[in-house]
Amino acid sequence: MIATLVEGKALAETVAASVVAGVGVTVVFSVAIWGVARFADLSRAERPLAAAGALGLGALALAATVASVVLGIIVMTS
Amino acid sequence: MSSDVILIIVVGTALAFDFTNGFHDTANVVATQISTGAARPQVAIAMAALLNFAGAFISISVAATVANDVVNADVITPTIVFAGLIGAIAWNLVTWWFGLPSSSSHALIGGVVGSSVAAVGFDAVIAEGLVGKVLTPAIVAPILAFVVAGTSIALVYRIVGRQRPGTVTRGFRYGQVVSGGLLALAHGTNDAQKTMGIITLALIANGSLGAGADPPFWVIASAAAAIALGTYSGGWRIIRTTGTRIIKMDAAQGFSAQGAGAAVILASTHFGFPLSTTHVINGGVMGSGAAKRLSAVRWGVAGNIIVAWLLTLPAAAAIGALTYGVTRIFGEGALGPVVVTVASLALIVALFLRRAERGAPVPASSG
Repeated sequence: MIATLVEGKALAETVAASVVAGVGVTVVFSVAIWGVARFADLSRAERPLAAAGALGLGALALAATVASVVLGIIVMTS
Repeated sequence: MSSDVILIIVVGTALAFDFTNGFHDTANVVATQISTGAARPQVAIAMAALLNFAGAFISISVAATVANDVVNADVITPTIVFAGLIGAIAWNLVTWWFGLPSSSSHALIGGVVGSSVAAVGFDAVIAEGLVGKVLTPAIVAPILAFVVAGTSIALVYRIVGRQRPGTVTRGFRYGQVVSGGLLALAHGTNDAQKTMGIITLALIANGSLGAGADPPFWVIASAAAAIALGTYSGGWRIIRTTGTRIIKMDAAQGFSAQGAGAAVILASTHFGFPLSTTHVINGGVMGSGAAKRLSAVRWGVAGNIIVAWLLTLPAAAAIGALTYGVTRIFGEGALGPVVVTVASLALIVALFLRRAERGAPVPASSG
């Protein structure tokens, strides 16, 4: 009876989507900020290779963040 | 002719309800951005209004739930919808007057359920829809936002905790412009759709649309415009009181709270769950605060939300039922709704004049 009344599958998918999108995007964006912050520190420390690596990772994370947001909106409108 | 008059009154009342929903909710949508300095109030409010408008066009799942899955549209009349709307507005006014917590969304659904039961009986209510799509998500969504925001900020602090605060804060402030935009988009889509659903239900009840029909474009556009105008108008009142009402948090917490709120509302909207968007936003704010330190959280807000859960649906339902009874005193035509509308408008004006004389601040209800 309870299972009939509560839309278990849709609710579970809502929980899963919220956790993946909410936590995932925030964490990936944090990595982007970490990359920029490390790039600045490593550049000051004159470690260009490591700085470039941090910047690359940051850029990748930023691209992933933007892609996730766009994908989320596309899923919403579909 | 008589039912067309009632329909016009219902559409006007629903759009007025939508406007007040946006007016009250501006604070919740823009608060985190303004408090962390991510955006100037004028910019945040203008952006929120625009994205509220845009958000109303991206989905109709919630409108379909409100129109087809809560009460049986086959036995509903425009007068029942009207009485439900008055039940919701009256309950919002009562809570505003006494400073009690409220949820416009729960009041709207409670009002319509109450008037439907008064008119037709419990057979008018679709239990699966009410429990599965309204009551359960109403409880789950704020808790989910709390958990998502709390988990997010805990991970964020582990990732960027040892980096220079200046760079991190600047980064999250930029991020907040985007997450704040998503939150406004989410708010617009879930809240505006409730009004679309109510108007669509009235159109079906009037025979203007077939059972199970989607909202026509003019309904979507007018609901979008009403909530966006309400958000923009409400903003200017909020700017004046920003300093006292906004919760203190850092940019990373603001980003996590907004991200959690947007994710939960957008995911719920996709599956057609009508939520109290303010409860979800508050859940996210409390989650991001609790992860840092428990004493940072305004636990009184959590208590208020629980009170709102318990009171709003039955109280709005009772007023909706009573309103339906009053309209029937004047027969089945348009006279009852006209009399109730005039009396309601007179009461609203009197309440606002009395409150203005006292000079008391207007507390925000929730959407």
